[in-house]
Amino acid sequence: MSPTDSVPLIQVKNLKKYFRTPKGPLHAVDDVTFMIKEGRTLGVVGESGCGKSTLGRTILRLLEATSGELIYRGEDLLKYNKHQMKEMRKRMQIIFQDPYASLNPRMTVSEIIAELIKVCKTLTDKHAIQEKVRDLMDTVGLAQRFVNTYPHEPDGGRRQRIGVARALATDPEFIVCDEPVSALDVSIQAQILNLMMDLQEERKLTYMFITHDLSVVKHISDDIAVMYLGQCVEKAPSRELFRNPKHPYTQALLDAIPLPSLREEDKLKKVIKGEVTSPINPKPGCRFAARCPYAAPECTAQNIPLRDQGDGHCVACVRYPA
Amino acid sequence: MEIKDLHVKYKTDEAEVFAVNGLDLTVREGETLGLVGETGAGKTTTALSILRLLPSKVGEITQGSIRLDGKELTKASEPEMRRIRGADVSMIFQDPMTSLNPVIRVGDQIAEVLELHSKKTSRAEIDKRVDEILKMVGISKDRKHDFPHQFSGGMKQRVVIAIGLACKPRLLLADEPTTALDVTIQAQVLEMMKELKEKLNTAMILITHDLGVVAQTCDRVAIMYAGRIIEIGMAKDIFEGKNHHPYTVGLFGSIPDLTRETRRLNPIPGMMPDPTEKITGCAFADRCQFCTDRCRQQEPEEYWEGSHMIRCGRFGQGKEAEA
Repeated sequence: MSPTDSVPLIQVKNLKKYFRTPKGPLHAVDDVTFMIKEGRTLGVVGESGCGKSTLGRTILRLLEATSGELIYRGEDLLKYNKHQMKEMRKRMQIIFQDPYASLNPRMTVSEIIAELIKVCKTLTDKHAIQEKVRDLMDTVGLAQRFVNTYPHEPDGGRRQRIGVARALATDPEFIVCDEPVSALDVSIQAQILNLMMDLQEERKLTYMFITHDLSVVKHISDDIAVMYLGQCVEKAPSRELFRNPKHPYTQALLDAIPLPSLREEDKLKKVIKGEVTSPINPKPGCRFAARCPYAAPECTAQNIPLRDQGDGHCVACVRYPA
Repeated sequence: MEIKDLHVKYKTDEAEVFAVNGLDLTVREGETLGLVGETGAGKTTTALSILRLLPSKVGEITQGSIRLDGKELTKASEPEMRRIRGADVSMIFQDPMTSLNPVIRVGDQIAEVLELHSKKTSRAEIDKRVDEILKMVGISKDRKHDFPHQFSGGMKQRVVIAIGLACKPRLLLADEPTTALDVTIQAQVLEMMKELKEKLNTAMILITHDLGVVAQTCDRVAIMYAGRIIEIGMAKDIFEGKNHHPYTVGLFGSIPDLTRETRRLNPIPGMMPDPTEKITGCAFADRCQFCTDRCRQQEPEEYWEGSHMIRCGRFGQGKEAEA
């Protein structure tokens, strides 16, 4: 769907985000490296607490990174000052998970969509702004009659359309989508996913799509990164990851999805035991070792880097040496 | 358990909301019935009506009967209902974070149900039973003196299930029991519920919007739309049958298929009708591509094909009339 020779829009190198807690540093994002090519979608999957939302926010500098590099079209965003960053925000936007909580209840739909245009001063003429708001509402399929309503009036699906329209207001190139469809019913979810894919094609958008829903991520992503406790454990083109998952955690994650089918081969497979451990002061080595059916002493002896297995399929597991 | 022609209505200051409109449902002993539908379809309202836990003064059963082993629940007195809740019918709620009391130790919360319903009266006996129940849901008995916040989400839901099953109820109403959990934890909890249900021979109504969860756990499936059941059948009928209600087809078309490559999903256009209006004819008519004038005028009849029922004018008599 997108040209293979496209250039990387954003490169993330050894990005770390630690939070200080009374018990020690919490490694929310720990040494994550990846890049997203222009016009493509990177899916980030993982369970609650694996650092996927923190990663998204750190990339937009809504949270300050602890260390690492964030190269956007060849320039390191982490070196930008406040003023430069404000300029950048026109080009990088975010859609949040919960359309109930992420829209100001005291602003009308048109005020919400126009706010960013006014802040970034991409348009200054009042009529031009109104025109733009109407255009955006058409683009995302919101009827004009909602223009002066407050966000609690429309239902969840329409509310998320407001969130999408707001993100598009400054014509960005890159959008972080943080679980944009998780709070919606399946039939509405499908409508929003279709809308987002149409917008990507029309506007050549680049997405970083954060979700815990594997069927959604497979549907929308070109490449997928699987995260576990702050680290990226596997990274591969979407189709390859689902056909040939290598990391034991990815395998367990795929095996745990209940499929809407009665066939014997689609039955729930063996279930992994245990739960996610604490990300505060983690021990060296593979963080999945405690739950891994293949755990060996060398797993916890040292940190295991992400190693390329060919064709862009990278995995961090001792069973797959470089 | 048998529900016949159930109607439930919520009265608010602004309008009357018709949440359940003529629902018929039978649950056989020991079976798992999946109740599927989107937000606002009336799934939870149905469950709350069975337990008579509808918000007082607002929610009201206006018509119909609910029978458990022949006993009419809609007319039972409040003390009778109290004996039934927890002992014969119990419920597991969606959110384990809010359904446990945060200031009571989990062991005591399980003991509370036993004290209320079982004949065992001595503290030692109840203690022993609490340990057994905790073991059953895979929690070490050393943790019974912990408070709910000391448990993870999956463990908390295990505690909730333990409370639900403590008195070996005949019927368990599970309202989205795994929706708030991560997939790997969801798989653990589903497996455990399946095992326990078989061991205790409890019937279960599993309320969910996740067709995957249904396929993996349920014997029979009922699809709900705007307060009615529009299709019901054995899991085989729903997942592999030939004929379906157009809404069911739309529901399946909305889920991205993991086993196939599709670039676009086929969602159902539009939204569920406003529940404050009384609907004449088929509730799905406005979103249905096969809608005819007949659909708008009268509610379609049930069309049975063995164990499989579809409430759509395209099948059965309607079909013949058209031809």
